[in-house]
Amino acid sequence: MTADRANGIFAGIDRVAILLYVSIVLAGCLSIFSASYDETSADPFAFSHFYMKQLVWVGLAWGAGLIVLLLDERFYHMFAYPAYFAGICLLLGTLAFGSTVHGAKAWFKFGSFAVQPVEFAKIATALAVARIMSNYTFSIGRISDLAKVGAIICLPLLIIILQNDTGSGVVLCSFLFVLYREGLNKWLCIPLLLIAALFVTSFLLSPLTLLVLLMLVCTFSEIMMSGQWRSRIVYLAALALAAALLFVVMALLTPGTMSFYHCLLTVTLASLIVVAVYAYRQNLPNILVTAGLFVCSLAFLASTDYLFEKLQPHQQKRIHSFLGIISEPSGADYNVNQSKIAIGSGGLTGKGLLQGTQIKYGFVPENHTDFIFCTVGEEWGFIGTTVVLSLLCLLILRLMRMGERQEEPFGRIYCYCVAAILLFHVLVNVGMTIGLMPVMGIPLPFMSYGGSSLIAFTILLFIAIRLDASTRQFSLDNF
Amino acid sequence: MTTGRDGFARMRTLQYVVLIIFGTIGLRLAYLQLIDRRYGELAKANTLRHVVQYPPRGEVFDRNGEYLVQSRECYDLMVIYREMDKEGFDTARMCGVLGIEPEKLRKELANARMQPRIPHMVANFIPKEKKLLFDECDFRGFFTIYRTVRQYPRKVGGNLLGYVGEVNREMLRRYPEYKRGDYIGMSGVESAYEPLLKGRKGVKLQEVDTHGAVKNSYMNGLYDSLAEPGKYLVCTIDARLQLFAEELMKGKVGAAVAIEPSTGEILMMVSSPTYDPDELVGRERGNNYMKMLHNKRRPLYNRAVSARYPPGSTFKLVQGLIGLQEGVLRPSDLHPCHMGYQVGRLSMKCHAHASPLDLRFAVATSCNAYFCYVFRDILDNPKYGGVKNGFDRWKEYVKSFGFGRKLGSDFLGEGNGYVPDRAFYDRRYRGSWNSLTVLSLSIGQGELGCTPLQMANLAAIVANRGYYYIPHIVRKIEGQDSLDRRFYEKHYTLVDPRHFEPIVEGMWRGVNVGGTSTAARLEGLDVCGKTGTAQNPHGRDHSTFLSFAPKNDPKIAISVYVENGGFGASAALPIASLIEEYYLTDTIRRPHLVDYVKNMNIYYPAYDR
Repeated sequence: MTADRANGIFAGIDRVAILLYVSIVLAGCLSIFSASYDETSADPFAFSHFYMKQLVWVGLAWGAGLIVLLLDERFYHMFAYPAYFAGICLLLGTLAFGSTVHGAKAWFKFGSFAVQPVEFAKIATALAVARIMSNYTFSIGRISDLAKVGAIICLPLLIIILQNDTGSGVVLCSFLFVLYREGLNKWLCIPLLLIAALFVTSFLLSPLTLLVLLMLVCTFSEIMMSGQWRSRIVYLAALALAAALLFVVMALLTPGTMSFYHCLLTVTLASLIVVAVYAYRQNLPNILVTAGLFVCSLAFLASTDYLFEKLQPHQQKRIHSFLGIISEPSGADYNVNQSKIAIGSGGLTGKGLLQGTQIKYGFVPENHTDFIFCTVGEEWGFIGTTVVLSLLCLLILRLMRMGERQEEPFGRIYCYCVAAILLFHVLVNVGMTIGLMPVMGIPLPFMSYGGSSLIAFTILLFIAIRLDASTRQFSLDNF
Repeated sequence: MTTGRDGFARMRTLQYVVLIIFGTIGLRLAYLQLIDRRYGELAKANTLRHVVQYPPRGEVFDRNGEYLVQSRECYDLMVIYREMDKEGFDTARMCGVLGIEPEKLRKELANARMQPRIPHMVANFIPKEKKLLFDECDFRGFFTIYRTVRQYPRKVGGNLLGYVGEVNREMLRRYPEYKRGDYIGMSGVESAYEPLLKGRKGVKLQEVDTHGAVKNSYMNGLYDSLAEPGKYLVCTIDARLQLFAEELMKGKVGAAVAIEPSTGEILMMVSSPTYDPDELVGRERGNNYMKMLHNKRRPLYNRAVSARYPPGSTFKLVQGLIGLQEGVLRPSDLHPCHMGYQVGRLSMKCHAHASPLDLRFAVATSCNAYFCYVFRDILDNPKYGGVKNGFDRWKEYVKSFGFGRKLGSDFLGEGNGYVPDRAFYDRRYRGSWNSLTVLSLSIGQGELGCTPLQMANLAAIVANRGYYYIPHIVRKIEGQDSLDRRFYEKHYTLVDPRHFEPIVEGMWRGVNVGGTSTAARLEGLDVCGKTGTAQNPHGRDHSTFLSFAPKNDPKIAISVYVENGGFGASAALPIASLIEEYYLTDTIRRPHLVDYVKNMNIYYPAYDR
């Protein structure tokens, strides 16, 4: 039995993953059909309908998946860097020659078809991350190695943000998931997450509160890393005292020139130099990492205002609406509100195929792309959403399991990358339709309408399946 | 470190993370879909009716601010079958109120039944008065939508302005932004400027209760969008001149085009026979359209921009200009003409006039023989070594005058005309031909085909002494400071402006001193003109006249073409002359000439068989 499995091209393929994938894609097709079916249309099979086009995309995606499976797994290892390089070039090319859709200059247009290179850049980044981290000499504890991974992730991220496509860019942050799996200190992960949260909420808080929170977060995580808390608390207290002193002195000498915020900032930055020298002498890398993190996030927070200006007005409005800053009823939250109504009105069993009234009459905009989940919610109810979410959840867990059984770190890291990207997409996309997340405009994997995203996700997943298959093939030979 | 125990622990943590995330989403969904019934009710209350707000189509003015095309309000009657009161519905009453046939109403209701949830159109073009009556009756499930239809106060310019119709299947496939029931410009200005005229549709959300009665507008109209009316256009057309010209052209087949030479604006453009544009509006549109389609004189065919006519003697102007530029002709050159041009057995007849004659006189009297000499000199110019190269050069010149190609006006469906090329004659004469073979080109006969617009453009070129602006029909677009750039560029011909003077002089003499066009003389206006009589195999000669006035500082350049009209001076000339007089002086001092033109009887055996 093992012999014939080992010899076929498709030997060792994880059938569960394939089954999950096919079910999700078909559910997506059904939803797109339901969302874009037009009763008044003269010709229901005309190619201009989204559901007909999606069928073509599905065909192409499966073709691409097949090709991915036919290639040797060493190919992906070998071409990780070239692919990454090509991906970066493609992104830069889009920046230079791309066309603008919804304010994001992230599309290449070929006639009536548009391709979004971001989707393919994700694959390239995942491959590159897997390649560098699977390097024999790589150690996640070493700062230079960590910086390399950071650079690989941040380079495409920056270009994508420059394209005004922040939503797709933030997806790359999900690689934190992988870094954690590969042994990144959890006390580094938690401050990173907290800082990300601070970034999102930075519009709500005053700069002083932010600074204090940031200091507390960093010091606390450093305490947890080193286990020494007494000297750190003394340090914090000293900072507070010095800042207060400076504030009083400045207020007496030249009243009104420095607020307490500026005093605290000055004192902290000055002390950091001392701290850095001390840490370097004593050879305490943790302190250096934390200090660097602190400075970076400070710079980052200072630039958020600028970055926020860079966002499209509709994105600003959405973030504001999500954070409850703007309560004017001018309808920035119209999308979310309508999508909540659509999903909520589905009830337990839903209204049935093509019976959805909310999606049908265009209450929910973009109901076949980013808001496809509304169709599921309204027409198939809680049962439908649970099934779809379970499928996605199982696929992600399956990917993690596939990662765990890999012989090579390359395969493991890649599988985790895929799982992380999928997880982030699901979280943000489904989250935004039910009002848990701000509207970012990223697709639901395998379900949203769109050739680029479907094909890219398929390739992403099938590379993981291919890597896994070869491991299993190999291990089957052994036993 | 990452594969052993620690790795396993981390995997577990991440698995929990995944489960927590999905759990949160699941809980939120359970809350939304199972516990919080608010949303379900909101959706129910959300039985919204999307009423499309159709924008009024942009209006069209003439150059003096007079309406050429207006938009008139009318209504479409819609029904949502599901919301209809099936038992209590009184067919007869509704038919009485709206003036529609019961048979049609029943048929439409049967259609509406197929898709009970979507609004279905029952009747269209309901005038405002009937709509007000209908509003008082309260038929459940029925409602009206505001639309606009076209109305033409002057009833002129059928082919020029074009007509508006409902989008058909073919168009729906090609332009996905249109929906069934939308109107679209089908021809003429309506079609060329469709994107500007159509405006933008809006949508009004109305909350509807379970009985289908409108409660109020959703969220106080927060998500409504207003229809954005189409942009208005100001045409270059002079409506009164257009009307006058259409009256003069009535009963004749042909076309007349007038251009303002200093701008390229089309002042008047008649394709005859024309039709009353109001006939292609409203419920009778289909019937009238079919009638016109089967009319043998083809009123829907815009001859002014599409027809290919032999230009006849008017083309001699071009020959003379090319000759002058090429240096094979000087204005003072004399050529003999004794009732024609004769070489061997080939002869080109001419009429009686003095001989020998110079260029100016040749233009004035329209001497055939003179231009046979000129044309042969151009083609047989030793400079180019062979007639074929000479012919290529000649064709380049002709093309620079706008012949044999589209001028690039803002008219869709502008014709190319036809100027034969070397390959054409090579094919026809199997490679052996010379300047004698193609001699008929010299007097604008033979294979040459020009659109009336191209001929009017030639008149404008001569009037401007060497350049033209691309003829165009729109002068101003609402909200735009200027038109497309191409309409502001001077297009020079390959002939130097200084060569135009003797030709203009000849045209002036032909009208004011003695020649073929003396009937076009207008006191004090210095009219310049050139007649043309084009032989054609289908019957009597075509009559054409090309003219501009005044000689210095020309205000109008005109070309009139009357099929089977006989001599240029007998049909086309009086029409052109009257139009010029009317445009330049605003009066008609020759009523007898108007009567003569209107009573002119021309037979068209080719069309009316």
